[in-house]
Amino acid sequence: MNESESGHSWLSLGGTATVAWTERLRRFPWSLLLLLLLTIFFGFGVLYSAVGGENNLWLFWRQVIQSAFGIGIMLTVSLLAGEKVYRRFSYLFYSGSLLLLAVTMIMGSVGMGARRWLEVGFFRLQTSELMKVALILALARYFHDHAKAGSLGWRDLGVPFLMILCPMAFIIKQPDLGTAVLLAGVGLSIVVVAGISWKVLLTMVIVLGASMPLAWNGLHTYQKQRIITLFSPERDPLGSGYHIIQSKIAVGSGGVTGKGFMAGSQSQLDFLPERHTDFIFSVLAEEWGFLGGVTLLVLYALLIFRAFLIAEMANDRFGLLTVVGATMLFAVQVVVNVGMVLGLLPVVGVPLPLISYGGSSMVTLMIAMGLLAHVSLYSRQHGRSV
Amino acid sequence: MLDDDREQFRGDARRRLLLVGGCLGAGFMVLGGRLFHLQVMRGGEYRTLAEDNRISLKPIFAPRGRIFDRENRALVENSPDFEVVVVPELAGPLRMLFKRLGRHIDLSEEEVKHLLQQARRQRSFLPLRVKSHLSWEEVSSIEVRIHEFPGLDLQSQSVRYYPFDSLACHVLGYLGEPSDGDRKRFSRITFRSGDQVGKSGVEQHFEELLRGREGVLEMEVNAVGRHVRELHRNPPESGEDLHLSIDFDLQKEAQEAMGEEIGSVVAMDPNTGEILAMVSTPSYDPNQFIRGFTHAQWQALSTDPDRPLINKAHQGQYPPGSTFKIVVALAGLSTGKLDPREQVHCGGFLLKEEQRFYCWRRHGHGSVNLIQALTQSCDVFFYKLAERLGIDAIERQAHKMGLGGVTGVDLDAERPGLIPSRAWKRKMFKASWYPGETLITGIGQGYVLTTPLQLASMMATVANGGTVYRPSLLRLEPGQAPDVMSRNNFSVHHLELMRQGLEAVVHDPTGTAAKARLEGGIRAAGKTGTSQVARHRREKSGQIIKSTNEKLQDHALFVCYAPLDRPRIAVAVIVEHGGHGGSAAAPVAKRVMDRFFTKYGSSS
Repeated sequence: MNESESGHSWLSLGGTATVAWTERLRRFPWSLLLLLLLTIFFGFGVLYSAVGGENNLWLFWRQVIQSAFGIGIMLTVSLLAGEKVYRRFSYLFYSGSLLLLAVTMIMGSVGMGARRWLEVGFFRLQTSELMKVALILALARYFHDHAKAGSLGWRDLGVPFLMILCPMAFIIKQPDLGTAVLLAGVGLSIVVVAGISWKVLLTMVIVLGASMPLAWNGLHTYQKQRIITLFSPERDPLGSGYHIIQSKIAVGSGGVTGKGFMAGSQSQLDFLPERHTDFIFSVLAEEWGFLGGVTLLVLYALLIFRAFLIAEMANDRFGLLTVVGATMLFAVQVVVNVGMVLGLLPVVGVPLPLISYGGSSMVTLMIAMGLLAHVSLYSRQHGRSV
Repeated sequence: MLDDDREQFRGDARRRLLLVGGCLGAGFMVLGGRLFHLQVMRGGEYRTLAEDNRISLKPIFAPRGRIFDRENRALVENSPDFEVVVVPELAGPLRMLFKRLGRHIDLSEEEVKHLLQQARRQRSFLPLRVKSHLSWEEVSSIEVRIHEFPGLDLQSQSVRYYPFDSLACHVLGYLGEPSDGDRKRFSRITFRSGDQVGKSGVEQHFEELLRGREGVLEMEVNAVGRHVRELHRNPPESGEDLHLSIDFDLQKEAQEAMGEEIGSVVAMDPNTGEILAMVSTPSYDPNQFIRGFTHAQWQALSTDPDRPLINKAHQGQYPPGSTFKIVVALAGLSTGKLDPREQVHCGGFLLKEEQRFYCWRRHGHGSVNLIQALTQSCDVFFYKLAERLGIDAIERQAHKMGLGGVTGVDLDAERPGLIPSRAWKRKMFKASWYPGETLITGIGQGYVLTTPLQLASMMATVANGGTVYRPSLLRLEPGQAPDVMSRNNFSVHHLELMRQGLEAVVHDPTGTAAKARLEGGIRAAGKTGTSQVARHRREKSGQIIKSTNEKLQDHALFVCYAPLDRPRIAVAVIVEHGGHGGSAAAPVAKRVMDRFFTKYGSSS
């Protein structure tokens, strides 16, 4: 069915299939790229300190290469694809990702007690990373195709909820609570923006709250432990409370201006585990203090704000919802990671976007950013101020 | 599409974006606020914790709960033990350290290898136990040179001590390094290097009670890791003490009475199910598990064919032999298929389907009624009774008396024994039940298996008039009701008949257990049993040719209770390859009961 005739599309480009290269470059959201680069460079500084003290500087250089690769991917995703490519392949991509998750479940390789990776030739594919992007595109497509004025009731939400819950089930089983929470957050925010009825949303919030005890029983023992520990880390200071206590000391002792670059005693003296990945924010907070921490939070906020502007200008619902999903993928990780480091949320393995060491998380985020730029690129109101 | 529709979507989406953005904004505000709280408001506080000093957390181990007998005599205590630990992070190259340490303490190449492996697995700032149970020479040798070894520390720790060595070792159990299974089972416990966990007995069963909760010492340490001062001490919660129902004197008497024999003794209070003594022989010394074994010692202990590590009281499964006749007799009485006055002729064997089922007495018992049949343990009487009852009725009665299933005693890995049934046989052998099998089941042979604990419980059930209590290894507190597993509705008349028959076993001149007669004229009721280990060869005349191989000798069993009128103790004894119950097992039970009555008096 042709989009422009179907009446499903929100704002149609009226068959404008190609945009000239120069036009693409002109329309590219350079300010978004600039913000991303700033954040990434900011991250280099923190990471250098986190791994520089010991002979792990190669980790830093690897991260530099991975970041460059990430930028490349972002440009590719945004500039090279035609307008409707992502919408067209979204379901296929989703199905493929779900299948890969299932395959991972059966024959994935085990690392640190979890089954998360598929060995593909010489590298390990973390299939849940693919799913993050796939879910965003598939949900956006669904609500694009099933647009409905007013509010979406229970009946309209059955399929999208299945689309969210299926991969979550696989990922919880791995177990990878962090990614599962992420998918839930991203999925839910797309549903909210797509037009869930307020009544349904309220009911869901209430039911979710009421079913907490049930969910509690479904958790692994170590996961329960983490949540218990969150509220009283002193109960198990050498075990699961260790991260939280040490992280709080590191952050707190940073004070207003911090202890200076590579001068964080907590971080440098090996008291902070996983300090170059999930707990990198405490290195930042210890060495650069409140000013450093807030600077990064502001950078993130600007990025998110810029992304919301793109959403607002999107041509159609697919674009709008894709941007919302990609932005939330980013934002939820920031909130969960920093919340965890500051002892506000349970310790789940979620990296700090663009700062934590790690290739797969970087690539996934840059694909998401690429989608964002892509939508911006094809937005007809480009350049119009809001 | 209509323009106003489009506009409606647009407006709606904008509102919703605002909502999501608002939520995010609030989230960021919370994060910023928390950052402000930690860094600006409480920054000074944290800085003193972290600035030039760091906090080192040291576990303080909780003393494990002690274990007492029913009269508060300590059967398991804790005693101090020195060990040397090292914090790898502070120590420099470990291999070098171990080499230098080797001049002062005994460290084998193998141990060093194991330690290096361990060091790779755990966090480098956590102490690694280098060697425990240091001798006094080793302790003093290290103590004077401790400054030469940064990161090294001598610690005294309390270890398990079993003052009476092998006494009640199977009840108490021993400790060992946690296995993967233990880690899974006690997922709430964080095990540390060198930690120990109960591996058998009550040490295992009550692990979580006994263990307590470790405390933690927060120390301020300077840049080279030297402790500056104690900041905070989170005291450990010691484990709970256990008060066992075991009576030390009875336990000792029973163990001594068994001597070198292999087998088991269980003594129980028939009115509560409390276990007064539980012996399994041969025994071992649980202290040895603390000190550690040489390979050869462990090899010898774990592969000993007499299986000293097994608690035969609840894990040894034996054919109950004639002690099972109690069950068959009660089944006959309660179903009304046995008239107590009925006389049955025993001519030495019963012929059924061309097969001879022999009585233990070659020439037969002549004409016997129920009481006589119990007294003299006539097999033919019980063949006929079993035949009349059928296997189903026998199975039902046995289950009602707690046989063929776990008793629920406070010990892990209890074995259920076996009461055969048609369904069981169909499942196991894919064959139907043969009538002949009912006959041999009637005298406790064939497939029937029971544990000594079940037999003691069965006797307690007869003694107390039909209540099956859960055998308890914990002393009941005053006013605490015992756990009841099930109740039998024996009629008073039937119980009286059983009492008469079982009394005659001990006190009648023709009874099989004259050796169980107690001192001081206390009357007891009992039943002997002999359970066949190997099929005996017989001559044509029916004469048994016993093998001279000791391992093919029959097991001797005896179950009993006393005093007759108000039973206060029930005992089951099994002596592996002991021959006859009356001669090998009854004297053991007699000694235990004599000790009981000299201690507690004959009247209640």
